Amino acid sequence: MAKVAVLIRIADVIDGINRLVGRVVAWMTLGLVLVAFGVVVLRYVFGIGLIQLQEAAVYQHGLILTLGAGYTLLKDGHVRVDILYGRMGERRRALVNLLGVLILLLPMCILVMGYAWPYVAQSWRILEGSREASGLPVLYVLKTGILAFAGLLAMQGIAVALRAVHYLATVLPMQGRHDG
Amino acid sequence: MAEALALSMVAATFALILAGYPIAFTLAGSAIIFAGLGILAGVFNPALFGALPSRIFGTAMTNEVLMAVPLFIFMGLVLERSRIAEDLMIALSELLSHRPGGMGYAVFGVGALLAASTGIVGATVVTMGLIALPAMLQRGYNSGLVAGSIAAAGTLGQIIPPSIVLIILGDQLANGYAEAQRALGNFAPEPLTVGDLFAGAVIPGFLLVMLYAGYLWVVVRIRPDCAPPAKARIRPHQPPLERSLPCRRVVVSALLAPLALIACVLGSILGGIATPTEAAAIGAVGALLMAANRLDPSYGLWLPVTIGALLLIAMGVAGRDMGGSLETPSLLVAGVGVLLLARALIRGIRVLLSAPLDGDKTADHTLGAIMDGTLRMTAMVFAILIGASVFALVFRGLGGDHMVEELMSNLPGGKTGAVVVVMVMIFVLGFFLDFIEITFVVIPIVSPILFAIGVDPVWFGIMVAINLQTSFLTPPFGFALFYLRGVAPVSVSTAQIYRGVAPFVCLQLLMLLVLAAIPELATWFPAVIYGTR
Repeated sequence: MAKVAVLIRIADVIDGINRLVGRVVAWMTLGLVLVAFGVVVLRYVFGIGLIQLQEAAVYQHGLILTLGAGYTLLKDGHVRVDILYGRMGERRRALVNLLGVLILLLPMCILVMGYAWPYVAQSWRILEGSREASGLPVLYVLKTGILAFAGLLAMQGIAVALRAVHYLATVLPMQGRHDG
Repeated sequence: MAEALALSMVAATFALILAGYPIAFTLAGSAIIFAGLGILAGVFNPALFGALPSRIFGTAMTNEVLMAVPLFIFMGLVLERSRIAEDLMIALSELLSHRPGGMGYAVFGVGALLAASTGIVGATVVTMGLIALPAMLQRGYNSGLVAGSIAAAGTLGQIIPPSIVLIILGDQLANGYAEAQRALGNFAPEPLTVGDLFAGAVIPGFLLVMLYAGYLWVVVRIRPDCAPPAKARIRPHQPPLERSLPCRRVVVSALLAPLALIACVLGSILGGIATPTEAAAIGAVGALLMAANRLDPSYGLWLPVTIGALLLIAMGVAGRDMGGSLETPSLLVAGVGVLLLARALIRGIRVLLSAPLDGDKTADHTLGAIMDGTLRMTAMVFAILIGASVFALVFRGLGGDHMVEELMSNLPGGKTGAVVVVMVMIFVLGFFLDFIEITFVVIPIVSPILFAIGVDPVWFGIMVAINLQTSFLTPPFGFALFYLRGVAPVSVSTAQIYRGVAPFVCLQLLMLLVLAAIPELATWFPAVIYGTR
């Protein structure tokens, strides 16, 4: 029983991390709106094109979609076709989610992580900046978003899998015992 | 061998998607399994995956066209959460309810107006389903007709610009068009833009609304009991004349917000002034200000914002005439405009931060719910883009694109045959998938082939957009039906919803046929405002 509780505690910790990331990154959506609006006003009213500001909008966009993926999985916000899933019971859903994480989600995260690692590492090695002279000098930070995407998503996938295992291994047999 | 793998990959992915695991990860995961089989069989080169990080970075993270997606989602959620959409629905139905079928016309009107200000299908259908549906049933409207009208009106947001479908589709079609032109030896083609698609969708979108209204008109003629006029006035104690005056004021003020947004956002895009992304930023800020005004009557928005915005626009125009540089006096005027707007914006954000939420546990305040929703929908869309990139990479690596190309060039009927096959395929896929997956998976594969044999990109884009819009209405996986089912009372059966929506699916197909017969409906307007390609 204690072993199983550990699984749930790990899942809780992961949930907590992605919930925190989600809370912080959500503010970037407002930030994106305001910065993008600022760019428009500067450009059309004052005739000024501030590349740093323009890039700040792009950075926020890039971070919203990469850092938000794990949080969205936590909230079960990734679209599913629920023709069958919608009619499944708890047990089948747990099975779909467990197998989905193991054969679909984790391989994807590992692939992205494996191929993005040298790409991002190279960017860090040269501390890659913007191609524009006056752009933001921290392109390597934005590129790290690809690793964060795969990492946060994989973590959340593991949390989902742990909960599914917990459900299949303990809750279900106990229900069965009560019935029998 | 490779081609057999490509084919079985498509079949297996489809089967896996139906099992119900999130589509984004199913696309990628299934492709990885088949890439592994391909490596074992010696027909897939794993070095191809090396392009993946730069593709994620370039086509998703730093894509300034697709940056319009989170901005428009934000704007749509603001309009929904702030009840501006709700006000519009109530005002228009009060205005029209005494006519036969009047509330049905109101539903189409609201659908079209919300669609032209931004148009998120889920938000529109939920708003109308919660307000119009019960009111219409109470007044004796046929439940199938009501359900079909609301679902169809909600999907107008996908075809009437600005729409997220057109942005995503435009981005993918632009890549396909550039690729086709390169293959034809044209290395500097006039690029296809999202603006072209927006302009192309204006007339077909308007015609669709007319088709819906015409259908309702016919139904009311044949079976008046389907949509009876309101028997009692809304406030029966008041004489008609007295009632009509304040009511008209309510209607005007409810209409003002969406109309102002449409003028700003759509006007600036179609006028060729701003890019869709820039217009989306203006629209999102405009919606924020209007929401604050709606949620806190003491906010007093109109005067400072109008003055500020007018000053900015005037100075913007003046600056343009002088080649972008402003003189000191105009700079001061523009500065005053900026200060007025900034002050209104800060106060507006404060209002939204203190506005409580009813029955929503995901956030503490209205702004929190809007930001959270924007984050989740954006992450969802782009996860599919990333999953679909992996899928497309493997499909191409296994030679699937050549297979499709061969298949399509050997079709009877040449160009027409190829377009018909693609349209039928998208229609059938639309029963199971939604527009995001179809756009990200199908369009990159088929569009270069079609454009290379001379299919007009704007016309094709609008045809696909109407087709994708239809996919929202086709059971079992029609998003609009799904949302409507969620808010409709139990007395309206799912079978009634499906039956009610069937005539609208037929109207969609009719629109496709008309557009196929008269391509100018889509191509004329972009040519007028942006010049011919």
